[in-house]
Amino acid sequence: MRHWTEGFEDDDAEESLVRPYTITGGRTAPERDDLALITLVTTVSGSLAETGRGRLRMQPEHRAVFDLCKRPQAVAEIAAALNLPVSVTKILVGDLVESGHVRARPPLAFARAGGLPDMAILEAVRDGLREL
Amino acid sequence: MGYANSDRGAAAPMAVKILIAGGFGVGKTTLVGAVSEVPPLRTEEYLTHASVGVDDLEGVSGKATTTVALDFGRITINKRLVLYLFGTPGQERFWFMWNDLVNGALGAVVLVDTRRLEVSFASIDFFESRGIPFVVGVNCFHGVRDRTQEEVRKALDLDPQVPLVLCDARDRAAGRDVLLALVDHLMAARSGTTPRPAV
Ligand SMILES: Nc1nc2c(ncn2[C@@H]2O[C@H](COP(=O)(O)OP(=O)(O)OP(=O)(O)O)[C@@H](O)[C@H]2O)c(=O)[nH]1
Ligand SMILES: [Mg+2]
Repeated sequence: MRHWTEGFEDDDAEESLVRPYTITGGRTAPERDDLALITLVTTVSGSLAETGRGRLRMQPEHRAVFDLCKRPQAVAEIAAALNLPVSVTKILVGDLVESGHVRARPPLAFARAGGLPDMAILEAVRDGLREL
Repeated sequence: MGYANSDRGAAAPMAVKILIAGGFGVGKTTLVGAVSEVPPLRTEEYLTHASVGVDDLEGVSGKATTTVALDFGRITINKRLVLYLFGTPGQERFWFMWNDLVNGALGAVVLVDTRRLEVSFASIDFFESRGIPFVVGVNCFHGVRDRTQEEVRKALDLDPQVPLVLCDARDRAAGRDVLLALVDHLMAARSGTTPRPAV
């Protein structure tokens, strides 16, 4: 895992703005608005062979997401690992969801819905934290 | 999306998050780093993206910077559940992504520095006004309790039911205890011991 100080020294703002949107083919906003910072993305194993002839022209960054998510990763983690802005990462992940290469699991929206999380989730979090 | 193998999808873990909020320099990143299983990760978002209008952009122009950075950490709770901790600054330039920040959040820890309580006012206002459950962590920067808990409560105009916990953001056990205070608070709210947060 990359440390947060890594790769942030050489911020040539001009250059870093152009490249990410080249990756996305000029798209600046995700087509799907259902990808959140903590949506968990998991690679669908075997999908590379199935859809290799398919519609998605994989950029190296698509491939990097595909490889990274063999262990489930949040969108924010993918963005950090690839050193890409969140919005660009969401576009790439959206492509891979569409093509069936990855599966995305959205978070449960408690706070936004104004509700409280399940007791079972709270108990699991409490037990996990106690082991820290 | 391919739902053909939805059973495999269900086996994927689920993510929740806790927001670590508060004003500038109160120890948010320090707390995330103390409890996270990985060193704090950093991610960026373009300020030009999403719902930021031209007027908003003008407010932050004059600087070449067009991105805002977020620190976050991760705690694997178990095979089914991952907890993310997001350090969320109170500055206005982050407001365009608040919906995403709040999405999936169990609640928040608002850190305060007793010498500069006012820098965390905006965070407290935000969670109060949205009915998002939170606890206040008093980061004891010098190990000195220069104000009593009652004084801090009064200065923050804190609702009596909102827990206030002393902590040291550098210390893993202390950080964990603040997070546990939030979980206890949520459980109490859930079981009706305290009123459900207003929405
Ligand atoms: N002595 C002491 N120093 C602390 C403590 N917590 C944080 N610091 C220091 O205070 C400074 C600010 O801490 P950060 O964790 O960067 O604060 P932050 O809230 O993330 O700051 P911003 O992201 O810039 O708003 C750092 O130099 C920390 O090392 C503490 O409990 N005791
Ligand atoms: Mg910080």
